[in-house]
Amino acid sequence: MTLRALEVENLKKVYPDFTLGGISFAVETGQIAGLIGRNGAGKSTTLKSIMRLISSEGTVKVFGKDFSEDEGAVKELLGYVGGGFRFYPNKTLSAVAKAVAGFYPHWDKEAFTRYCEEYALVLSKKVRELSEGMKIKFSLALALSHGAKLLLLDEPTSGLDPLSREDFCDTLLSLKRQGVTILFSTHITSDLMRVADQILYLSDGTLLADEPTAKLVKRYRVQTFASFEEAGAAHAMGVKGVKDGFEGLVAGTEEGREATLDEIMIHLEYAKKETA
Amino acid sequence: MKALIKKEFSLCLHPTAFVFLTFAALTFVPNYPYEVIFFFSGLSVFFISLSARENGDFAFTCSLPVKKRDVPLARIIVAATFQCALLLLTAVCIAIKQTLLPDEMRINLAGNSANLAFCGFGALVLGAFNLTFFPLHYRDPHKVGVPFVISSAVQFALIGCLVALRHLPFYAPLVSPDPANLGVKLAVLLGGLLFYAGMTACAAMLSMRKFEKAEL
Repeated sequence: MTLRALEVENLKKVYPDFTLGGISFAVETGQIAGLIGRNGAGKSTTLKSIMRLISSEGTVKVFGKDFSEDEGAVKELLGYVGGGFRFYPNKTLSAVAKAVAGFYPHWDKEAFTRYCEEYALVLSKKVRELSEGMKIKFSLALALSHGAKLLLLDEPTSGLDPLSREDFCDTLLSLKRQGVTILFSTHITSDLMRVADQILYLSDGTLLADEPTAKLVKRYRVQTFASFEEAGAAHAMGVKGVKDGFEGLVAGTEEGREATLDEIMIHLEYAKKETA
Repeated sequence: MKALIKKEFSLCLHPTAFVFLTFAALTFVPNYPYEVIFFFSGLSVFFISLSARENGDFAFTCSLPVKKRDVPLARIIVAATFQCALLLLTAVCIAIKQTLLPDEMRINLAGNSANLAFCGFGALVLGAFNLTFFPLHYRDPHKVGVPFVISSAVQFALIGCLVALRHLPFYAPLVSPDPANLGVKLAVLLGGLLFYAGMTACAAMLSMRKFEKAEL
């Protein structure tokens, strides 16, 4: 039996104005999981809690190892990128890489050189001289050179232009083929449709969905209605006005067009607001 | 820990850490409150902590394979290394001064004389800084200014007391040129160093405990 790359159980973090409400999920080895949700839904809180950057309740296991019991060993298996590479802007890439290499007994210098060549990273450049896309690539090069088996990426595609995002998605798929497991948060769901095997949908600190991407997308269809009443009669969820009438989510077995992740997210948020 | 300390030197160190070491030479200035030399040491720790915060150092370091509680320990070890170097350089400057200059230039009218006892006072000021600055800073690593203001206030209160005491008659043996009253001066030096070691160890333990729960 293969070990799960990541197991999160009852992860809870309470802020005065927000609560991450004891969420549990797992990511299978070699899979790409996307953590989606609107701004403030708890995506970064979840990733920071997993990394213990903030103190929270719950257990986190990485390849079967308990994070709190074996922090150093677990982190050797991990690569974490919190929203681009915003660290040490005035240091050169080689200085940062040299400092990072010292932490990993299995640092592969040749692999790092190879990744730098592949990603066109110039080591004499300073971090601040890199574009957002290149910063992400530098983070990936660092993570992969120490043999990270699980990558946790917090909003890695925000700030990237469509071509760079496409490029980034290609990189993720290539890493997946190498057996790397990836959990990344984003609110740009079109990226996930391309690469994610699993979707974790967070809303107000609650996990609303945790299932394979294809299954989640097939679960719903989008129907257009002439009036709000007609949508109500069809038991459509999260009905909202559009240019030609009203749109809402209906069950996947109903008539209608295929729903995108964006539409599922938007209509479920509307539905939640209606019931609140 | 070795990698963490190396990272502190390669990515976090502020140039003032080295520049302020040279301030040990201020002990050659006649009639000067030499205790402020040790305030500058605290200022360099402030600059290191400030630039580390601005460079996102904590989140970066905590994503590396280290225990979260070891992160403040590495910084405190580096700060203590510079503080010990400052004490040592001050002692060297004092030894040179005491050897080469005439008696009238070795007695300080503006504060404590630069002699063996003074190094003990310096250790006292540095220990007080460590105990106030580091635990306050690591309770909330996003805050650097407030812990520095508080620790500086403590340092200056202590310096003020030491300068005021200098004018009391019973204090006279401690401001005399070396090697007079060597026994009492050595006792002050030893006491100061023990206080420094104790306060720095306490600062490290408190900081590690507080940082464990810090929100980065």
